[in-house]
Amino acid sequence: MATKTNQVLLVLCVLCGQNVFVALVAQERVAKRIVSLVPALTEMLFAVGAGSQVVGVSSYDDFPQEVLSLPRVGALLDPDTERILSLKPDLVIVYGSQTELEGQFARAGIRVYKYRHAGIANVLQTIRELGAISGHSHESDRVTAQLQSQLDAIRARVRGRPRPRTMLVMGRDAMALRGLFVSGGIGFLHELLDVAGGDDVFADVKREGVQPSNETMLVRAPQVIVELHAGDQPSPDVLQKERAVWSLLPSLPAVRNGRIHLLYGDYLVSPGPRLASAAEALARVLHPDAFK
Amino acid sequence: MLRADGVSFGYFSEREAFSLSDVSVAIAPGSLTGLLGPNGCGKTTLLGLLCGVLQPHGGTITLDDRPLTSLTRRELARHVAVVPQETHPAFDYTVMEMVLMGRHPHLGAFQLEGPADFAIARESLIVTGTAHLADRNYMTLSGGEKQRVVIASALAQATELLLLDEPTASLDLGYQLEVASLLARLNRERRVTMVLATHDLNLAAALCDRLVVMRGGRVLAQGPTADVLTGSMVQQLYDVDADVQFHPRAGHLTVIPVSRTR
Amino acid sequence: MSTSTVQPVSSLGAPKPRSDEGGIRTRLAATIAGYGTLAIATCVLAPLVGSTQISLARVFDRSIPFADNVDAQIFFVARMPRVLTGAVVGATLASAGVVMQALLRNPLATPFTLGVSAGAALGAILVITFSTAVSLGALSPVPLASLAGALIASAIVYGLATRPGRAMSTSVLLLAGVTLNSFFSALILFVQYMADFTQTYRTVRWLMGDLDVGSFGPIVASLPLVLLAFAMFAVLPRSLNLLSVGADVASTRGVDVARTQRLAFLSASLATSAAVSLAGPIGFVGIVVPHLVRLMVGVDHRIVLPASALFGAAFLVGCDLVARTVLAPVEVPVGVVTAMLGGPFFLWLLVRRS
Repeated sequence: MATKTNQVLLVLCVLCGQNVFVALVAQERVAKRIVSLVPALTEMLFAVGAGSQVVGVSSYDDFPQEVLSLPRVGALLDPDTERILSLKPDLVIVYGSQTELEGQFARAGIRVYKYRHAGIANVLQTIRELGAISGHSHESDRVTAQLQSQLDAIRARVRGRPRPRTMLVMGRDAMALRGLFVSGGIGFLHELLDVAGGDDVFADVKREGVQPSNETMLVRAPQVIVELHAGDQPSPDVLQKERAVWSLLPSLPAVRNGRIHLLYGDYLVSPGPRLASAAEALARVLHPDAFK
Repeated sequence: MLRADGVSFGYFSEREAFSLSDVSVAIAPGSLTGLLGPNGCGKTTLLGLLCGVLQPHGGTITLDDRPLTSLTRRELARHVAVVPQETHPAFDYTVMEMVLMGRHPHLGAFQLEGPADFAIARESLIVTGTAHLADRNYMTLSGGEKQRVVIASALAQATELLLLDEPTASLDLGYQLEVASLLARLNRERRVTMVLATHDLNLAAALCDRLVVMRGGRVLAQGPTADVLTGSMVQQLYDVDADVQFHPRAGHLTVIPVSRTR
Repeated sequence: MSTSTVQPVSSLGAPKPRSDEGGIRTRLAATIAGYGTLAIATCVLAPLVGSTQISLARVFDRSIPFADNVDAQIFFVARMPRVLTGAVVGATLASAGVVMQALLRNPLATPFTLGVSAGAALGAILVITFSTAVSLGALSPVPLASLAGALIASAIVYGLATRPGRAMSTSVLLLAGVTLNSFFSALILFVQYMADFTQTYRTVRWLMGDLDVGSFGPIVASLPLVLLAFAMFAVLPRSLNLLSVGADVASTRGVDVARTQRLAFLSASLATSAAVSLAGPIGFVGIVVPHLVRLMVGVDHRIVLPASALFGAAFLVGCDLVARTVLAPVEVPVGVVTAMLGGPFFLWLLVRRS
């Protein structure tokens, strides 16, 4: 950048104050061609109005509609570096574990944003940061404020009601009660459950995922079981059979009281702008009477 | 009692073609026959055919006028036992366990060895001078001891025929004589008919009353040892000029190689 | 005429079988009684122990309805099927290991050497990655797919190594098995590469083995195959003794070598297929147990085979007990426990030999 422009900026800054400076600097460093390997962050970019600046997405992106027509560049295990470079990005969003990729882009002089998977606060912070990088700080502020208020509204709705002991199931073998993967005491799904007015049955296990045995589940005795599935709802017949696998453990309060809920939808497991919808979906099954 | 009539066998690999052509031998009861010849002459193959491990491509092998193919492995095993050149068990069997394996063709599918079987096994150990090794791990024995145990194992099979493949090949001189005299004694006292494949001319001369001489997959001559084992035969087999003489102190023919003739 | 084999593992210091009359009969009876008692005792005691204290009185208290009786549910739903699965899988894998080692004349052979578990893994991972709600009645697709994969892999190796009327070549068997292992492993990696997070995680989880079947259904379903395999095992032991000294020698002693080899291969493959489709590939049982048993009872297969089955049952149930209690409430996959016991055991064996 030319020294002369620097000096002009310096003068302007002194004259006009901090905000203008930030705006001008941000304007200069705004990412105009963004490639995103992380679907949730792609969603965020669209949510803050930066959709037109996205030039490439991962193989797993499918929301919103617009991404379906964008070039695909691989994902966590198989990022296509050549393809990414051919799109001439000025910002690439990668997973925190893709250190080699990060190194490659650093050498090519391309800016990298590293995604870290953590809780709700991290999601909101990421939206704000992406907003700043893409030059949509106003929209991102609006989006995060809206999400925050939506979450607060849900919290308010369920306040004071008894919080059921809930097991949030993230995955299991089809048609069998095996291979269970359940939310533990940390992580964004755990926090969503908390917002929705439920107590995580594995809150004391400080891990994001827990693999409970039948015995463990019998001992923890959840009152509500919620299964989260990305993808479409299957036929009623299959749904019925999948619910029925829980009858293997009839002493679970959730089984006895029929409080087994199978929820389907990508938004349920996406740590992005739709998390308020996910929280609401959870709250509706945990506290149906609060939504009448 | 054991005959091969016009037997042929062949295998072809990338590196070599080998065949046994039109081989006929007759093993008389009580005889001690030697299959003699240079390496690759087909004596081991003939032995394999005679005990039914290999199937001839042409001709027939008969035992007491019954074709081998008409007998089950078990039946055949009750008449013919084999002492292979080398034995490498994959697990640490004891000597007694090795010898008891010879009782297999006499036992029913789920039958365990009984007192009679143990008696036969012990006797075989005694006859081969290995009774004191009964509880030892086979793999810890010396070469001579191992060979005698394998012979004991074949003896436990209680057959009228015993086929041996190079029984003294890897043994020290002392053990060679020991095994040779053991075999002679078994043949004489128990009327065990034996066929042994060997390239050791002197062993054949000492032990065998009949010889089958082979070269290149064919039988050159067969008959009583004294008739077959001559200087010109050795010449024909090995291209070696040798002195074949009766040795008074040894009591049998000996072969002393003198020089190569080619 | 005979072929050379791998140097056998030394059993220095093991009580040698004595060469007295009737020795085998009494040894066999004593072995089965001893190991049988161990197996039964383990299976009876294991459900009593776990990460949670339960009261036996409550478990068997008929007055409490089953649906309300947590202790009874832990005992009958969580622990008993798990212990029984451990016993069945442990017995099956240990026996299959013994037979494989005799067939291949190699003490380092395992039930997985010839590609059966790679086939099972490929079947499982294909279903985990690509099936949507494929439902076959009430049957879970993963065990069925892994069974199919295992049987297909066995059939391929069998087809490659068998010539009509002739004995199998152990080197061809080994080559076919090793090749299949590599090929299927490559396919598995490829499929994993295309899978998403959840699928990859579930595949890795399956590969670690899991005895927590939760009901008796899967055990009962696997019984026909297991019983068939054991029926085939029953006729093999003496022939395996002779076969392990040398194929040609065995033939001259009256063993139908081709038939014995095929029976051994089929029975070991069936047994392994059943075990892996029931509980995933649990390693080391099929090699540690036969070796331990040989150190204790000698090498006669008529004694080693039943002893390994019984000891294998006790061993795996024991490992699972450790797996579910050592880091409670977190459970260690049972395959990890068997590996952590098996690895050092083999180092020790190697050190002992040299």
